[in-house]
Amino acid sequence: MDRRRAAVGYALLLPSLVGVGCFLLLPIAVVLWLSVHSWNLLGPIEFSGWDNWRSVLTDRRFGHSILVTLALTAIVVPAQTALGFAVAAMLARRGRGSTVLRVMYALPWMCAPVAVGVVWQWIFAPTGGALNALLGERVEWLSSPALALPAVAAVLVWTNLGYVALFFVAGIRAIPGEILDAGALDGAVGWRRIRWLILPLLRPTMFFVLVTGVLTVFQTFDAVYALTRGGPDHRTDVVGMRIYSEAFEAAHPGRAAVMAVVVFAVMFVITLAQHRYFRERVSHEY
Amino acid sequence: MSTERSLRAVAAYLVLVAGALVTVAPLVLSALTAVKTPGQFANESSVAAPHPVTLDNFRAVLEQGLGRAVTVTALMTVCITAGQLVVSVMAAYAFAHIAFPGREALFWVYLGTMMVPSAVTLVPLYLMFAKLGWLNTFWALVLPFLFGSPYAIFLLRQYFRAIPGEIIDAARVDGATTLDILVGVVVPMSRPILATLTVITVVSQWNSFMWPLVAASGARWQVLTVATANLQTQYNAQWTLIMAATTLAIAPLVVVFVVFQRQVLRSIAVTGLK
Repeated sequence: MDRRRAAVGYALLLPSLVGVGCFLLLPIAVVLWLSVHSWNLLGPIEFSGWDNWRSVLTDRRFGHSILVTLALTAIVVPAQTALGFAVAAMLARRGRGSTVLRVMYALPWMCAPVAVGVVWQWIFAPTGGALNALLGERVEWLSSPALALPAVAAVLVWTNLGYVALFFVAGIRAIPGEILDAGALDGAVGWRRIRWLILPLLRPTMFFVLVTGVLTVFQTFDAVYALTRGGPDHRTDVVGMRIYSEAFEAAHPGRAAVMAVVVFAVMFVITLAQHRYFRERVSHEY
Repeated sequence: MSTERSLRAVAAYLVLVAGALVTVAPLVLSALTAVKTPGQFANESSVAAPHPVTLDNFRAVLEQGLGRAVTVTALMTVCITAGQLVVSVMAAYAFAHIAFPGREALFWVYLGTMMVPSAVTLVPLYLMFAKLGWLNTFWALVLPFLFGSPYAIFLLRQYFRAIPGEIIDAARVDGATTLDILVGVVVPMSRPILATLTVITVVSQWNSFMWPLVAASGARWQVLTVATANLQTQYNAQWTLIMAATTLAIAPLVVVFVVFQRQVLRSIAVTGLK
């Protein structure tokens, strides 16, 4: 009887095992294998030892793309978290129209990032673009080396802000009213209430928002593809873009495989570090 | 004191409303541009209201292959969503309610794969599909995502575990098969989480871009996002046409959101969506 139960269990699991095996685990093996081979997308695949690794790890452009990605993350994540929290603090009251407002703020998050990128490319366009029409000036937002990265960052903040805010709204609403009332008696109102009551209680939400924020921004591709393709002068060449161009424009998928492995390792370390940091802080608080 | 507080509340509300308007402005402006004539766009300020309102831009891009892309995208989204739901429900039920050797270890493997970024699997998947000769087919679009997702399985398992084992045992004693239990007990009891997962999958598949871009960039199996990105380069700066394409890519989900706002807002709060 129990054996039959176990067989049913395996049978139910089988389709998902095919999926996880073929399209998640096998690709990881293939990416490692490909990293020591050379291929031009069409011809034969040949073993090339550590050539790809050596050339990628000494490749200035790859190092640069990691720095660009880190810079983008360093701008976007704090900005979207702070703004998202500010919006949530106001949005958390169940006032008139609060659902409509939440829908409006969350709307960009629903939209295809690449379509959003195309829309913003128009808004930033030097001629015929909406932003310059409103400003009455001709500013080269996306083609000037100094402004391109901040412009891309602004689009990402615009996209993610509402989603971050919704998380904080859920967190704030989960705080028991008695705690806030008791705090109010002790003089915790307004800013003090936020600083000493709500923020400490929102640690778990904060952790989630920061971790998912870092992981999504680190993987940015669609919006950059539509906005700048990594330009001007590689100023917005995030690692997602670099891997794509290396594999499919330069036709060096072996080198792209090395980059993918490095990105995986970096993201793993970031996740681990964030976990450590927050576990310590959270356990000390309670 | 109380007037000061209510004044503050009004100020906060005004800031909130202003922020919301700024948030939707780019989308509204792009939709307005999509219904402008190219003549008006060229001669007036690009933020002027459209007059006359025209649907010619939509007609033009739909004829340029975007019509087919809409169909392909819809078909892909439906297939993947159906496949993921069925496969994930089966797997999650096994993880939640059936004892078998290796269950915990396998579950950890599934959890581990959730950490793999799509940029990592992109190149190897391309290699695999190229070697099989399946690039630029419908299969290339759907196969990698058809067999469930570890994320969905994880969410469903958490939910299924809350279903009391006694209910399932009672059904089994009454002679119900596993399929009966899934269809008759588990699925009806899990409607909210299934609705949430449906929303997540539809949104992420409709919007997916990176894999379709490399796996099916040919005209035949282009999805809407890829077609829009191509139009962007093809119709260099013919913004009324390009905005018609982005509006087509964005509008269906906006409609979904407005109609199912409760479910969608909850999906975001529960899972982070995507």
